[in-house]
Amino acid sequence: MPDNWTFVAAAYGLAAVVFGGYWRWLVRKERELAALRLPRPSRP
Amino acid sequence: MSTALGWLAAVGLAAGLVMGFGVAPREVTQGNVQRIMYLHVPAVWVAYLAFAVGVAGSIAYLAGRRPGADRLAHAACEVGTVFLGVNIATGAIWGKPTWGTWWTWDARLTSVAVVFVMFVAYLLLRQAIEDRERAARYAAVLSIVAALNIPLVHFSVYWWRTLHQPPSLLKPGSSTMPPEIVAALLVNFAALALLGAYFVTRRARLLAAEEEALA
Repeated sequence: MPDNWTFVAAAYGLAAVVFGGYWRWLVRKERELAALRLPRPSRP
Repeated sequence: MSTALGWLAAVGLAAGLVMGFGVAPREVTQGNVQRIMYLHVPAVWVAYLAFAVGVAGSIAYLAGRRPGADRLAHAACEVGTVFLGVNIATGAIWGKPTWGTWWTWDARLTSVAVVFVMFVAYLLLRQAIEDRERAARYAAVLSIVAALNIPLVHFSVYWWRTLHQPPSLLKPGSSTMPPEIVAALLVNFAALALLGAYFVTRRARLLAAEEEALA
């Protein structure tokens, strides 16, 4: 049977995109939340 | 703890790639495409582990109404759904060259798709209900019902005639796989389990921070 390396690359590539995407989504949400929590600068 | 888990997962994933592509031999019948197994199988094991944690959290929430238990359940079920999605997608990619089709409605594939859809529904339910206590209660019940289908997924290959093969490792008796393949499978499982634990801790922390911000 041929090795079908394209399918192997597709499977591992897809997993990298999904896990990497989920990680980036978590980081983005954390940053958004941190920005919301920053105290507003008071007027001089 | 979360950062340490993240680094451990990164090292584990690198080790898993070395084991899967360097140490494990080329499979005689399928050729190198069989190396998808080192991702496909550990992904579903980690999904099941995450759902088990999710169900434990759901039961704890229903028993004591502690928000921490609900956050753990939410985080674990979400991460489990991500891993199950990867399992289903990589299975389809593996299926095309070996079975000649991306998908077939056999008992294993159908039952795992049902579990996936139920956990997607779990996540949508949480978004759809505004009252957080009610959302947590309904979601807890749904996660328990969804997880009840997991034994059906596992035993479907015994109970019905399926295109999907029966388990090679999680079965009674000793494994028929060569030790290098088993070792590669277990290293990849450990790596993905660490990644799953890292995601769950980070997501649970984020949920706590969101609740704090909303309060």
